[in-house]
Amino acid sequence: MDYPFWDVGIGYGVLMAVIAVVHVFVSHFAIGGGLYLVVAERTARKKNDRLMLQFLRKLSKFFVLVTVVFGALTGVGIWFVIGLLNPTATEALIHNFVWGWATEWTFFVIEITAALLYFYGWDRMSAKAHMIIGWVYFGAAWMSLFIINGIITFMLTPGDWLATGNFWDGFFNPTFWPSLWLRTGVCIMLAGLYALLVASRYKPDDFKPVLVRYNAIWSIIGLVIMVPTFYWYWNAIPSGIVQTALEQMPTPIASLYGSFWNAGLIAVALILFGLLIPKRYNLVIGILVMIFGISWFFEYEWLRESIRKPYVISGYMYGNGVSLASVEQLEQEGYLGNIAFRTGDDGADLFRRACRSCHSIGNYKALKPAFDGADRAFIAAMVKGTHVIKGNMPPFLGTELEASLTAEHIYGRVDNRHLSQIYGLSGVELGRKVYDVRCGSCHELGGYNDKWESLSGLTAEDLGDILDMAGDLGEEMPDFTGDSVEREALIEFLLSLNEGGER
Amino acid sequence: MNLPDYNFLSAPLWLVTTLHIVTLTLHFLAMNFLLGGVIIVLLGKFTTRWHNPTVQTLLKLFPNAMAATITFGVAPLLFVQLVFAKQIYSASIVSAWFWLMIMVVAIVVYYFLYASSFSLNSKAGKAGTYLTIGLVGLIYVSFVYSSVFSLAERPSLIASLYAAAQSGLVINTDIGAYIFRWLHMLLGAVTVGAFFVGLFGKNNEPAFAVGKKFYLWAMVAAMVLGLAYLFTMGDYILPFMRSVSIWLLLVSIVLSLGSLHFFFKKKFVPAALMLIVSLVGMVTIRHLVRLIHLDGLFDPASIPFRPQWSIFAVFLVCFVIAVGLVWYMFRLYFTAQSQPGS
Repeated sequence: MDYPFWDVGIGYGVLMAVIAVVHVFVSHFAIGGGLYLVVAERTARKKNDRLMLQFLRKLSKFFVLVTVVFGALTGVGIWFVIGLLNPTATEALIHNFVWGWATEWTFFVIEITAALLYFYGWDRMSAKAHMIIGWVYFGAAWMSLFIINGIITFMLTPGDWLATGNFWDGFFNPTFWPSLWLRTGVCIMLAGLYALLVASRYKPDDFKPVLVRYNAIWSIIGLVIMVPTFYWYWNAIPSGIVQTALEQMPTPIASLYGSFWNAGLIAVALILFGLLIPKRYNLVIGILVMIFGISWFFEYEWLRESIRKPYVISGYMYGNGVSLASVEQLEQEGYLGNIAFRTGDDGADLFRRACRSCHSIGNYKALKPAFDGADRAFIAAMVKGTHVIKGNMPPFLGTELEASLTAEHIYGRVDNRHLSQIYGLSGVELGRKVYDVRCGSCHELGGYNDKWESLSGLTAEDLGDILDMAGDLGEEMPDFTGDSVEREALIEFLLSLNEGGER
Repeated sequence: MNLPDYNFLSAPLWLVTTLHIVTLTLHFLAMNFLLGGVIIVLLGKFTTRWHNPTVQTLLKLFPNAMAATITFGVAPLLFVQLVFAKQIYSASIVSAWFWLMIMVVAIVVYYFLYASSFSLNSKAGKAGTYLTIGLVGLIYVSFVYSSVFSLAERPSLIASLYAAAQSGLVINTDIGAYIFRWLHMLLGAVTVGAFFVGLFGKNNEPAFAVGKKFYLWAMVAAMVLGLAYLFTMGDYILPFMRSVSIWLLLVSIVLSLGSLHFFFKKKFVPAALMLIVSLVGMVTIRHLVRLIHLDGLFDPASIPFRPQWSIFAVFLVCFVIAVGLVWYMFRLYFTAQSQPGS
């Protein structure tokens, strides 16, 4: 409420995901790659393996170009973007963890210096000195992860910090350790996958199978660490969050299952092409396995970010930047008086504060399909009842008038024609659409908060009576404000379910 | 609901401010070397241009200077956000797309600096093109920074710009208020860049002559532009004159002139010391000007102090370790004998 709102066409979630996933991918690769380089260099020097040393030298050039440039700048980019998308949450994090971040910066300084000296030092330094720099690099990079991990996991599981406000309670929160080891496994796996991609371009001579096997073993070690640590991580998340995700959030749960599939595909490809027929590990396989790796990471990060809903910091601040501590005040005073930057269009301002962090009208997580054909009163009722709608949304804390203004803003931007005209439907099919729009957000047939059992077997007259008194059935239940055509179609649809119609 | 409040400072304000000024000076030093150095390499009349050893040294150092600029830029950004979050986030949201594009542009600049550095081995003729593209990017970044940080000092302008458009495609429209500030920074960067050109070209008379020329004229121009900026401060000029800033400004100018004197005599240690101290003075003035603009609207001292000494101690220990390790690694690197083919 203290900041202007960036009303950007592209969804906040997409913008954040694009920058964050690119950064976390590169940064994890930077950590694992550091370990890979120095361990492989040590082995190669012991065996006096000149081919391997040449390979590592080439790898380190790309490594510096990717990690020092792209990794560092996308890391700063995350700071930039979170400050734009959720300045209140960023402010809260910075105030609580400024010395954590400052400590991480000291490791960042070491990391960047070491990466550059390692790259420039191949010809200049002794083997021992070069490897010392390599170990310093890896140590500093892993310590960066150690610290950032404390802040990232805090956002999902702040633990005792919610009661004490103590830095260490927030930092060493319930998911800190499992996440740290899970991410360490990810770092090792990604380093191996990238080295495999580079190796895939080698001619299938005697060196290639040795190199591919070596890199595949790296990735498999990473994967082996990831499996139990992910299980540990998942079990460390408070059961309430997991349960809500399983019941109400199909997208992150689909991501979870997708990540299992990707991990499986990586394992199969590594065993088959990495260990059994390494000479066949060509560029296509290399790219495919890399895509599986990136997909796995995308799905994991998507899951982690999504299951926090409706919070940006669990139990502390909602995704729209409203602190739980201010709920009571907002319920009494409403939003408008507390919005520091207003535009003169109250409906638009309210929509931005209450909804826009996650939803757009017609693009990302569009509201249009939910409200096309709906009337103002219904939209206002839905705005007031966001906390009971499927998807685990934050509550709308404004007044009745503010809900109406928000609804008016939405109504002015959706299709106001009759549902039958918009979709060209009639009869049972129109009734199904009426159900989807007017009932389905809170009562999913066969899913979330399904009330079919209480309606099953009722006559058309009974169903009509229920629709007429819908607003009295519960505090958040809106009146049925559709016209007679919608009413008849809805009843017809519900009756068709009685007769075994498709749900 | 009794939840922890986040509106607090976990270290005394003076400590946060000091850390901000020190780290921002380091950032400016690296950034000025890079930006000023690139301008001088492109505009300076070096003999044999891309084959000049001083130019080659500079080209090789530019990507590392970029790394240092970014690395040293993180800490002051953190500390300034800690105290001035409301102002800086608000200003950056109004200009969100321009602000966010800084990252994209910086990545492109970085790669072009590497390209110009690597081109020395094969395509030296391309170095100028790569460097010019890099310079355009650096100028963009410097302009957006000046625009956003200047806007952050004008909450009423933020409010009116935001009321007119929420798309994040708005640049600070009060250009008169910051154009001289930006140009002063740009010329200041050339001054520092010229110092390094002279330092790296101390045994290369034509290169040193280029450094001298730029050091003198860029300093003069930066002073004139700084003066012009003062005159654009309007109502804020009186509080500025009555504050410690004016004395800091005088000391910084004297130190800059002293630095120029020693630089011309090739006495680089006193010249560098005076330059760095004058830079600290300029950074401090920059901070004080922000406070003058925000006087009556926001007082950083009003933020409650709730110490987190244990993690602060961890930071201090890690900071000392970092300084030690960086020193140790540089020693390893610079004391090593060249071992071709190892």
